[in-house]
Amino acid sequence: MLLIYFGITILLLTGMLLFRRRKVITILMLAFLLNQSGLTAIIWLNPGIVQMKYFVFDPLASLFLSLLTVISFTTVIHGLINLRSDSTRRYQYYQMALTGLIASITAATLANHLTVVWIFVEATTLCVSVLIYHEKNRLTLEAVWKYIFVCSVGIAIAYFGILFLGLGLRENAGFDLTFREMALILGDTNPLYLKIAFLFVLVGYSTKIELFPMHTAGVDANSVAQPQVSAFISTAMVNLGFVAFYRVYLVFSQTQIAGWMNHILILTGILSILTAAGYMLKARHAKRMFAYSTLEIMGLMAIALGFGPSAHPAALMILIVHTLIKSGLFYQLSQFFRTWHSYKIKETGNYFALNPHGGLVLMAGSMLILAIPPSGLFLPEWMVFVSLAGAGQWLVLCTVLALLGFIVYGFSTRMLHLLFSRPIEGRLEASENQTNWYEITIQWVLLAVASLLCFYQPPFLLALIHAAIQPF
Amino acid sequence: MEIILLVVFAFSLFYLSMAERFRTYTALIALQGLLLFGLACFRLREMNVANLVFLVTETLLFKAIAVPFLMYRILNRIQVNRVHPDALPGFYALLLTMAGLLLSIFITRRLDGQLIERTFMLIAMLALFTGVILIITHRRIFSHLVGFLVIENAVFLFSLAVGMDAPYLVNIGVLLDIVVSILILGLFMGRIGTRYSDMETDNLADLKH
Repeated sequence: MLLIYFGITILLLTGMLLFRRRKVITILMLAFLLNQSGLTAIIWLNPGIVQMKYFVFDPLASLFLSLLTVISFTTVIHGLINLRSDSTRRYQYYQMALTGLIASITAATLANHLTVVWIFVEATTLCVSVLIYHEKNRLTLEAVWKYIFVCSVGIAIAYFGILFLGLGLRENAGFDLTFREMALILGDTNPLYLKIAFLFVLVGYSTKIELFPMHTAGVDANSVAQPQVSAFISTAMVNLGFVAFYRVYLVFSQTQIAGWMNHILILTGILSILTAAGYMLKARHAKRMFAYSTLEIMGLMAIALGFGPSAHPAALMILIVHTLIKSGLFYQLSQFFRTWHSYKIKETGNYFALNPHGGLVLMAGSMLILAIPPSGLFLPEWMVFVSLAGAGQWLVLCTVLALLGFIVYGFSTRMLHLLFSRPIEGRLEASENQTNWYEITIQWVLLAVASLLCFYQPPFLLALIHAAIQPF
Repeated sequence: MEIILLVVFAFSLFYLSMAERFRTYTALIALQGLLLFGLACFRLREMNVANLVFLVTETLLFKAIAVPFLMYRILNRIQVNRVHPDALPGFYALLLTMAGLLLSIFITRRLDGQLIERTFMLIAMLALFTGVILIITHRRIFSHLVGFLVIENAVFLFSLAVGMDAPYLVNIGVLLDIVVSILILGLFMGRIGTRYSDMETDNLADLKH
């Protein structure tokens, strides 16, 4: 089944390369989305099977592949609208890179072997680079250089971690780096090998999860990429980084370093929130501000992970809801840009009056991303705080709450300016209302589902989340 | 013999941390490529012939010849030959590298395994620290490029330690080498080097404004 998916993807990519006609490329892209949906349906219908030796249809993969498919649809639709004025050649590169990226994320999400995951994570770097460089100007060149450089260093560091693991396991003749196999044999390994391997893997994959210390790659990429690409990087790519890291975490959680690993995650989470708070108080660029908001939410997710298995459902719920809200917000920014031709906060403003429908989406999305009820983020974040208080981790709790206070202040004052105040530096002229009902409807649906999850979590989703956090 | 090659590799790292001329960097990267070629020949001699030939070719042709050649071409194009005047002085960079060596010794002494494996690990970690120090303490993009190449060499060196037990780990290390090096050097040759002719990272700060 998976072989058919990859085969069709390669055929479609070849078609996109050969037929340089916009309409044909669009049809091939839509065909790829059907291919993606078909695979997702097959995975739901055939849970637990192993394909091509290195790929498994487990609950974690089902959950995040479903999210990926949803975000792929919305991203492609927004891309069709935003790229209307692009040349055919640029359009072709864009669609090919996006197809390659979705396929790479799919493969990495399904992979059950440490090195196979790593290979496909590396492949995503190449595809994202093409998407970031779409505009081919000085800013995108700077962003793509930084993205490739930081991600390459991150990938090399993550591979260092894999090698440490290989060295620790070498006494088990014919050892295999599949996650299930590792879970069986890691117990006897020297904990120092495991600790070093964990640190390298965490630092390496932090480029993709947009977590401290190598979050800058994602932030810079988000600043200059097309809004729908930023939405994809901030959600689907972040989720991929999480899946890649979480599989390693689940294996290591059955060894004697579990407690130590959780401390590191909590520290990483706090440092991520601290970094995000620092930026929020001096934010000057709307897209960078949203990117740092991702850093903050991933920090909270890391704290939930570090709190142990009881808080893991909260971590997964944070990721699901964040995917829905953040993509909706970034998609809306494309309309914002069509109105103001800038993302700089001082040069823009008064958006609610200029585009009431878009302004309402931006306002609702901002409230939801700050976890203000009825946000689906409210419950999981509340669970994290209650868990911290219940465990007597008052210092961590107070630190996190204080930093979140700064973030809420910084984020909301800037959003209020964008929505209701006149531009401080009034050099730009706003264009006419650019409402597009396809876009607005998609954005509202995403935000509505994120809100609904505050009141009602479907039993199938809860069952899937609980199955996804089970160790191997 | 492997120990001798590893010691020479370590000396090349110390020299790299002190050097101030980009041509010296390039020569040292070529030397490291040759040393890795020798180490791959000795370390993996019991591997199947096809795999061995592939690895040896990669180290000799790619690391020791192609990469330094591309670096020389970049240097000829950009006409910048020294590190930035504000870069950390060589003496302090050497001290930092020595600290990296002490940290590597501290870690590897606590790991089990044969002496030769731990020596590989020690030098690989030293190379990783040297690469990171080069990236952090220098301000010209070319120095960052060299830092990244040193980190890649560290990964390859480390993969040789596990090469006989899991040959596919070495092959994937090679994949990283080829794909990422070509991407980074290609981008550097094609775009960055021409747009940012003074090669300073200060010029790569427009995104923050």
